[in-house]
This record gives sequence, C-alpha cells and structure tokens, in this order.
Amino acid sequence: MKILAIEDEPKVGKALLQGLRAEGYEVTLAQSGEDGFFLLNSNPFDLVVLDVMLPGRNGIEILKALRRQELKVPVLLLTAKDSVEDRVVGLDAGADDYLVKPFAFPELCARIRALLRRGKPEAVLTLKIDALDMDLITRSVTRDNTPIELTVREFELLEFLLRNKGKVVSREMLARDVWKETSRATPLDNVIDVHIARLRRKIDDDFQPKLVRTVRGVGFMLSEDGR
Amino acid sequence: MPRFRTTLRARLTLLYILLVSIVLVLYAGGASVFFWQKLIGEMDLSLDRDLETIENLITSGTDGKIRVDTGDQSENLLLEIWSESGDLLYRSSELGGQVLGPPIVHGSPRHPPKRSVRLAENETVRVITRSHKFEGHIVMVRLGVSENVLREQFGEMISTLVLGLPVALVIVGLTGYFVAGRALQPLDAMARHAKQINAEHLNERLAIENPDDELGHLGGAFNETLSKLENSFGQLKRFTADASHELRTPLTAIRSVGEVALQNAVEDQGHRDAIGSMLEEVYHLTHLVDSLLILSRAESEYLALQRREVSLRDLATESVTLLEVLAEEKHQSLKVQGDESIVSGDPLILRQALVALIHNAIKYSPAHGSIRVQTGATNENAFVEVHDTGPGIPTEHRTKIFERFYRVDKARNRDVGGAGLGLSIADWAVRAHGGQIELDCDSEPGCTFRIKLPIKSK
Repeated sequence: MKILAIEDEPKVGKALLQGLRAEGYEVTLAQSGEDGFFLLNSNPFDLVVLDVMLPGRNGIEILKALRRQELKVPVLLLTAKDSVEDRVVGLDAGADDYLVKPFAFPELCARIRALLRRGKPEAVLTLKIDALDMDLITRSVTRDNTPIELTVREFELLEFLLRNKGKVVSREMLARDVWKETSRATPLDNVIDVHIARLRRKIDDDFQPKLVRTVRGVGFMLSEDGR
Repeated sequence: MPRFRTTLRARLTLLYILLVSIVLVLYAGGASVFFWQKLIGEMDLSLDRDLETIENLITSGTDGKIRVDTGDQSENLLLEIWSESGDLLYRSSELGGQVLGPPIVHGSPRHPPKRSVRLAENETVRVITRSHKFEGHIVMVRLGVSENVLREQFGEMISTLVLGLPVALVIVGLTGYFVAGRALQPLDAMARHAKQINAEHLNERLAIENPDDELGHLGGAFNETLSKLENSFGQLKRFTADASHELRTPLTAIRSVGEVALQNAVEDQGHRDAIGSMLEEVYHLTHLVDSLLILSRAESEYLALQRREVSLRDLATESVTLLEVLAEEKHQSLKVQGDESIVSGDPLILRQALVALIHNAIKYSPAHGSIRVQTGATNENAFVEVHDTGPGIPTEHRTKIFERFYRVDKARNRDVGGAGLGLSIADWAVRAHGGQIELDCDSEPGCTFRIKLPIKSK
C-alpha cells in the first residue's frame, strides 16, 4: 500500500514517515503542497495524508484541485482547527476523514486502515484473541469457554480493542468511537480508565496470559504475547 | 440614592452653607457694632444739648447751696454737680442716693467725658461729664440718661437678625443643593453610562457634549482609557487564540515522534517509561490547549450555538450515565431527581457544563458520600442543581472559583484538580445561553451548584 504524506513540519513529517513505514506501508513524504500535487499527478497512491496548514497553496486548495481532476484517492486531512466550520470546509472540499492536531499516532493508523478497507465490507461475526471469543450476534464473550458477563459499555470497549488487536488505541479513539464523544474537552479520561480496569478484572484476573496492556503515555492494547 | 454625606453634591452644598453663614455672621456683627455706635453717638449729642440747657438752669440758693430749677421737666433727671476739688454739690432726687460714678477731679484722665455706667441690675446709664463756670468757680456737671430704651431697640434688631439667619440659610442650602445638582447632573449621567460599559461592551464610548469644559476633559480621559483597555483585551484574546494554535504544531511533533518511537524502535523499558511520561504531559497540555481554545473562541463570540429544544432531565440522566462509574468506584450514590424542564439550547455545550459540575461533585465528595442531581422549573427559570457532600467551599473562594486556573487548594495536584478550566468553561457555556450558575454552600452540608436557564415552556 502506497501512502503520500504532505506535511511541511519536518519533525512531524519524519515521524509520519517512520511510523507508517513501521506499520508496513510504502510512504513518500512531500514537504510542500506543490511537491505533493506533482507527485500525485505522476505516481499512483492508495491514500494521501494531507496537512491543511501548508506554505503556498494550503491543503484545502490542493484537495480541491485534486478532486477537479477527478482523482478519487482517499484523503485524510490533518487540521489544527477543530471548530465545526473548519471540519465542514474540509469535508466539503472532498476529504474522506480528518484528524485534529495534535493527533494520536495510533488513531492516525486506525483511520488509515479504515479508509483503505473502505469499499471492502468485512462480514465479521466473531472476534478472537488467544482463548477469548466474542460473538457479535449473540453478544456473548467467553474465555477458555467460561462465559464472561459484560455491561453494554464494556462489551463495546472490548469489541473496539479486539478489532484493533495488536495495535495501541488512544484515549481519544475510545472517547470518539466507543463513547461517541465529539468534544475533546469532556473529561472522560477517568471514566475510560475505570472501564479498562473493570474489563481487565473480568477477562484477565482469573486467566493467563494477561491480554489487556497499558502503553504508558499512549493508550491501551490487546495482545497475546503479554509484552 | 447614594449615602448623603458622601456625595459631592451634598458636600458642595454643605460647604456653600458654611461659607454663606460665615459671611452673614460677619456682616450682621459688623452692622450691629456700627449701628450701636451710631445710636450711642446720637444719644451723646442729645445729652450734650440737654446739658447745655441744664447749665443755664443752675442757680445758687439762699443757703449757698446749688439748685437746679428744672420746672416741669424734672422727671428722670439724673444730675450731679461736683466742685473742682471733688465735693458733691448737687445730686438730683431721681438718683435716690445712687452714684453716677466716683467723685471727679477736674482734668482727671480717669474720668472720660462720656461713658456708660451701670446703676442697678437692669439699669445702664449713659453719662456725660463737663466742666462749667458758675459764679466764678469751675464745677463739674454730670448728666445721665437711661440706655434701657436704646438697648431694647438694639436687642430687637439683633433678634430679628438672628431669627432671620436660619431662614436665610435654609434658602441658601436648598438653592445650593439645586444648583450643585444641576451642575453635577452630566457627571452623574456619565457615571451611569460608564457603569454599563463592561468587558463585553468595551467598544462603547461616553457621549461628550462639550469637549472643552471640565466634564469634557473627564469624559475624554475616560474614553481614552477605554480605548487602551479595549486594545489590551483584544490583544489578550488574540494572544490566547494565537498561542493555542502555535502550541499545536510543536505538540503534534512531540507526540508523533514519541509515539512512533514507542511503536517499536525502543526496547529498553527505562527509555519507554521516559518517553511515556513525556507523552502523558503532552496529553495534559493538549487538553489544556483545547480548553483554552474553547474559551478564547467563546470570548470572541465566534462559536455559534446550535440551538434546539433540550430536556434538562434527559441531559442530566445522560451526564450521570456517562460518569456514574466514577461514583461507583468511590461507593458514592449518584441520583437524578426532579421534574421535566425544557430549554432552548445547544445540547452539546450545555452537557459540557453539566458534566463538568457532576465531575467536580464526584471528585470532591468523600467515599460513600452522595451526589444529587435535581432538575425542575420555576415560573422564570429552568434549573439543574448538582448537590455534593464535599467539604464545601470557603466564602472567600466562592466568587473566584469560576476564574481560569483558580484552585481553592493551591497545593492540589493535577490528578485531582484537572486543568482548572472546567468551571470556567461551564460558566461560559451557561452564560452563553443567557443563564447563570449559582453557588449555595450554606443551606445544607456540602455545596449546591445551580444552573439557571431562561425557560422555554413548562
């Protein structure tokens, strides 16, 4: 999968390059809108990560020009402004998704995965990690064949972690996708921590190996190797 | 009306009355002295004339004694005649043995020619003394007349003056008060207008009728200060917004670099912890910047409310559902009670305020405490109350807790205290809806925060 990142801030650009390469993507970095536009016209890409605040032609202008040429490549906007108007402008210009700076890197990865998966619906009925099974139809969870009772919120939380197993999920991702909270100012961190602690009690306390990991400063993840 | 003594108008009036009374007293005193001198002078003149007449009536009797033949005009004649050597030669019977003064020796400086002598308790007599050549000798003739009538007249005049003074002062006072009021009235109007200019309407200016008079100078100076203030406020607002924006770029860089490093590159646990700890701080900083941006955008009135009908009860239930796990962890009871009440508002923004208040209540209530969220409506307002069983808020902090970054306990760490912006945002959110947050820490233990909003319908 080929990704073009258009970002003028060198450190952020370098991090995008390294981080996305580590995720297994083939990444090209353009440091200005013009460079990016040129690259897009000369090479095929599967996805574009586009910063809005660029010197010269800004991200929105690049995006509009792109869509005028009927290039259908998915575009993920990175914006420093999170007011409703700014989002609307971005989405109207033809962006497929947006992330507000400073974004969490795991969230960027999750959104890239979602955009690349788009159009290929996956009919998932069960999710699994180690000996933990989740049935999305009956909404039941077992570990080592022992049924585990979860509240609705805990079920949704576990489902989200399972869908991103092996990847870190940030608190912002949980707030946005599990709690459907649109404002970052809502104090949800404690709430999320309490739910993670309860989930851990139910699925990990009586079993081995421990599946729920806390990645300090970044978020949480489900993994089998217990690293 | 402001306290009487403290107003400039009252002080001007009092000063005016004081000045006028000093002038009046000086004038009345001066006039009285002058008038008295004139009365006495006239009396002396008439005494002089009488004395001349009497001198012609002095005769020597057959027994060698001096007689004064006044005929019919003898009544009230107070007359003494002394010899040059100081012997009493004659004393009129009306004197009844009283003396018009000590014996006199001719030319003695101690006996002025004109003076007032006190005869009895209520009798003062004006006495005039003159030497007279009689049958070859020099005798001293001394004639007196009672001053009583004169003193009565003078007394009447003084009392008329004294009685008139208060009346005059009352008139002066009223006039002064009126005039001062008229003169100060534009100042009063300016003060009232100035009071209405606050942080939200700093672009207003005082109307100045005449820029060249004293009031014009004052108004001009005030308007200049307002302009400076408006400038500073604008700068401050822009600074918050600009700073928040500018902070995002480096925050993004730190975060991306740190998270990508943690993704796989770093194996050493110590290094992972160090990076993680930095990322935690970046996360707090990000939230702080977000909250500051919300506030600065709110102040620039850039954020438009997406109004629709909102049920406060539903909002309360929703917020409680979101946060109840936190209460459960502390074994607190968290309940929603009360009636339905509908307001017109932006549900997201109102919920932010309510969540902040409930979050606070859980934070500050002790384990096993209880938190009550009560909704309802009065005739004018819809309200949501959040009642906690925390330690309460000391009186001196109550007005300040809505200020940014204000903490009751300065030493409180961030894990408990949050960024210190939650209540500021809640306060802004409610005020943006035309409501207010009231704080009541006195009627029962703990504190009650009450969000009051204009009512939509019952």
